[in-house]
Amino acid sequence: MTATQIDSNKMPTKGAIIPAEEEINKTIVDIFKKSLEKKCFDAILIPVRVPETEAYAWVLLKDQSLLDEANPLPPIISVQGAKALRSLTKRGKMTQNIAAILRPCEIRAAVELSKLKQIHLDNISLISIDCPGAMPLSDYLADPEKSKKIYKNVLEKWGEDDSVRPVCHICNRFSLPSLLHRKSVKISPVEQDEAKMPSIDLHIGLLGGNQEKIFLIPVNPKGREILEKLELKSDDSLDLWQTKVSEVQEKKEKIRKEFNLELKEKIEGQKKLTAVFDECINCHNCMRVCPICYCQQCFFDSDSLTLSPETYISRAEKKGALRFPLDTMLFHLGRMSHMVLSCVSCGVCEDACPMSIPVAQIFSLVADQTQKSFDYTPGINKEEPLPLQDFLEDEFHEVETPSEAMTPEEVN
Amino acid sequence: MKQDFKPNIVGFLCNWCSYAGADLAGSSKLEIKPYLSVIRVMCSSRVNSNLVLNAFLWGADGVLIAGCHPGDCHYEKGNYYVRRRFALLKKILETLDLEPDRLQLSWISASEGKRYAEVVNKFAEDITRLGPSAFHTNPNI
Repeated sequence: MTATQIDSNKMPTKGAIIPAEEEINKTIVDIFKKSLEKKCFDAILIPVRVPETEAYAWVLLKDQSLLDEANPLPPIISVQGAKALRSLTKRGKMTQNIAAILRPCEIRAAVELSKLKQIHLDNISLISIDCPGAMPLSDYLADPEKSKKIYKNVLEKWGEDDSVRPVCHICNRFSLPSLLHRKSVKISPVEQDEAKMPSIDLHIGLLGGNQEKIFLIPVNPKGREILEKLELKSDDSLDLWQTKVSEVQEKKEKIRKEFNLELKEKIEGQKKLTAVFDECINCHNCMRVCPICYCQQCFFDSDSLTLSPETYISRAEKKGALRFPLDTMLFHLGRMSHMVLSCVSCGVCEDACPMSIPVAQIFSLVADQTQKSFDYTPGINKEEPLPLQDFLEDEFHEVETPSEAMTPEEVN
Repeated sequence: MKQDFKPNIVGFLCNWCSYAGADLAGSSKLEIKPYLSVIRVMCSSRVNSNLVLNAFLWGADGVLIAGCHPGDCHYEKGNYYVRRRFALLKKILETLDLEPDRLQLSWISASEGKRYAEVVNKFAEDITRLGPSAFHTNPNI
């Protein structure tokens, strides 16, 4: 059993069903208005449409009236939510209670950043939402009005409309609670239960609601407390939501598998991969927008890679020619080896690429394989250690040559 | 043509074990193929993905990382960390089909001169069979 497979017995079973009178969006926003009124939170971090433009920005707000323009599920991801949360808490923990409403990939990036000591999650309630994906930035900016209509359709059809970004189209982690209970966690048994506890408090379920209702799903005691303060009973059955999540999940796994097989065909091997990255203009946008790439100065931006002119001449002679800018392949493979175990496949790298290189798709494919080999799903629980900061004495013998389990060494 | 091919192999050897193992192999007059350029590191965990990738992109046909046997690290747990890092890099190369066989991790202690010679000769043979790395001949990288 892989880490991401759903065990529906362990998904939350009780929550509150809220009928949606008008638009889903308004129903959600009304809940958060009420939550400010009832003092569940002191402030809310949520995407808000910037007045008189088509852009969305992260806004930390305390004023209920400002929530009117808020949209918990905008058609695009302009700035990765984890980045917004990072700027908020980089210098220390929040002193007031904040609710952050983020997409699943954004929450997972935030949890990874908290492991990397870049975000303080204290006093922050992470609230996730079922996410149908986001549209490519370029498509949206070309025609925002049309895109909004398309996005409505995306929300209604869940997984069938492929106008979302490729990584969203193949996303199998669109509903966080389905990922919360992992089968095996490679840590000591005492810590197992704790490590299985979710790192979100509340989840907003849209699947199975048919645009007529939403599910408010508390994932831990703190989540239940929030519902209590909102005077909502959390004992409605979540059967409809659960069934639909499993159904979509199954579909997505299939799409993902097929998609990755096709992708592999296109990028596999030194020749094909070089051709893909040949278009790279070395702007390093993918690194700058990546929520996991948090380093103040990227190694690949530093001078440590520049060599003397003579060295380049001699290397050009050896190879026959030398392409500039240098180190494009090194940058992508190097960055990959730095962050891929924490990659949440949010796709902002691909959105930011001016050359439309399928960076996110490639990284997502490698993330799948590498994370599986470490039995690690990033961003599920903040207590679970990062794979490279942890080890077991008896593991990975298959990478040793000659391969050997722990036996007393032979002295010759 | 392949018989003339003399591979370029970079070997990152741990100062406390494999490097001394190499020394012992030499002083025991064991026959070792001359294709390995040795870089001494204070611990196998000093080797990061950039060093390995750089070696490949700038012309290495193979990269060998050699450190102390698990449990014997001079710094107690360096080799456990490098094993994970190595497993990650190997998996990346595997997924992208970038000839993962050109990369090897071996444990060789200071007293294992014979093992050193065996590991290096075997690796050199394997790399010779694989031929020159494509990275090294592609001017576009």
